[in-house]
Amino acid sequence: MVEEVVSIESNREIGKDTFLMGFRSTSLASLAKPGQFLMIHIDRAAKDPLLRRPFSIHGILDGNRLMILYKTVGKGTSLLSSLREGDPISVIGPLGNGFTLPRPSEKTLLVAGGMGIAPLFFLAQALKKVQKRTIEMFLGFPSAQEVVIIDQIKDFNVDLSLTTEDGSLGIKGLVGDLLDRHLGQELTEKPVIYACGPSAMLKKIAQKAIRCNLRCYVSLEGYMACGLGICQGCAVKRGNGKDKPYYYVCQDGPVFSAEMIDWEVM
Amino acid sequence: MGALPDLSVDIGGLRIKNPVLAASGTFGYGDELTCFYDPSLLGAIIVKGLSLRPMPGNPPPRIVETPCGLLNAIGLANIGIEAFVEEKLPSLGTIRTPVITNIYGHTVEEYAEMAERIEKVDGIAAIEINISCPNVEEGGMAFGTDPDTAAMVTDEVARNTTKPVIVKLTPNVTDITIIARAVESAGAQAISVTNTLLGMAVDVATRRPKLANVIGGLSGPAIKPIALYLVHKVVEAVKIPVIGLGGIMDYQDALEFLIVGARAIQVGTANLINPKTAMEIITGLTDFCVRKNISNINQIIGALETNGEDHEKKGDRKN
Repeated sequence: MVEEVVSIESNREIGKDTFLMGFRSTSLASLAKPGQFLMIHIDRAAKDPLLRRPFSIHGILDGNRLMILYKTVGKGTSLLSSLREGDPISVIGPLGNGFTLPRPSEKTLLVAGGMGIAPLFFLAQALKKVQKRTIEMFLGFPSAQEVVIIDQIKDFNVDLSLTTEDGSLGIKGLVGDLLDRHLGQELTEKPVIYACGPSAMLKKIAQKAIRCNLRCYVSLEGYMACGLGICQGCAVKRGNGKDKPYYYVCQDGPVFSAEMIDWEVM
Repeated sequence: MGALPDLSVDIGGLRIKNPVLAASGTFGYGDELTCFYDPSLLGAIIVKGLSLRPMPGNPPPRIVETPCGLLNAIGLANIGIEAFVEEKLPSLGTIRTPVITNIYGHTVEEYAEMAERIEKVDGIAAIEINISCPNVEEGGMAFGTDPDTAAMVTDEVARNTTKPVIVKLTPNVTDITIIARAVESAGAQAISVTNTLLGMAVDVATRRPKLANVIGGLSGPAIKPIALYLVHKVVEAVKIPVIGLGGIMDYQDALEFLIVGARAIQVGTANLINPKTAMEIITGLTDFCVRKNISNINQIIGALETNGEDHEKKGDRKN
């Protein structure tokens, strides 16, 4: 883990309210694994917003350029979107555990809802190097305006299924429902599933995977102050914990195997 | 320029090399932030609040950010005193600065039992009694809002230990000086002012509280003026040293607390944002003293100028 002040190299809107930011850091890039996250201090002089914000690492380009994909949802992300090339941000990371990669010959299925694509793109990027087979990818967005990154994904060896909630692009509906139907078919081979997105979507996928006895990894979000395991804010209920009823997203996750989580309370 | 200024202070018989402490709950069990700097450089470390038995903490969401503030309802999630002594304390032996335990009990007896347990342990320099946590059902703040029970807890702990006893007060009372005087009389050697202020936040779309616990404790820069005022009040009311905390983000904030009379300060929420804050405050205080030709930090402590309105305090100034 390192703390570094970096200069923003690019920060532009690539879809409705959706931004792609890049900065260079050789140390962070050399440590980062798919599924890990960064705590970003957007304005070190400001007391509002006060806390750092957690962001998944979206990918690494040119060896040392880290990419962050985010949607402007509040004060912190809006402020981040206003930053320009050369502006400094303080970054702590990489944090958390990251994804356990599939075996090279294993059938692999990636499911992302909205900004859930952020860490899964990095995973797909890593799989490109090690995975022999075509990866199946299910992506869902609210509408065509918010669809991002799919052109870059097409460069990978993926079989892409796209949904939008309003049907303005791809299949109309929720990506979780599409996956549900997919898993409901006769499966010739059991896939390993990697999912990130809204908690309702993850709940549906995780519960299905548990019922079908499929290996399934989910990347969770949590309200956290520090990201370092200190504040214990980002508690998530364990599926199997009696003495220790909570995991912490920042240090035990953000990636969890589906059966580790108590989905009833999610 | 001559020698570096002397930053050492005395808090209730505990001599510390500088007045900057890491506040309980924001520095883990003492060994988590070692990748950022050597915690030996701090005046002292107050570890995460401990209870007699492990506590799971509250359901999520436990945290919400409000303007300039952090509202939390962690619920004292901790591994319990026994696991701390067995698993964490040995590795803290390498840290060359006092380690202070913050203790919380559901009953007066539990406080006494913990003090007794800690008394037997080397490597713990002092006890900070938490009678001010707003996020637990039993005990916690309830002990800190009534002068008699606050005194009772303090007395029980003090009678079971030879280590300095610091009592951490809640701001959620009408007159904090009544509680401060009660714990001073009961044997406290120092007082920490202040714990978090009760608060809440609501999601207007769902009409639900943003914290699962409904209410939480507010910390961060939003509460600094209140904390400073309370320190000022308590400094006037008691003779024992006061440790100031509440929204300290940089050395200038720290100076404000020292000037109103805090003998030392604690860095809390700021640790969660910039883990190096406490370190930077020590450097900032050192540089400030050098710039202002102050050879000893005690020259600043209680050096508030009030044009005579604050009459009682004037005669007590330390410079």
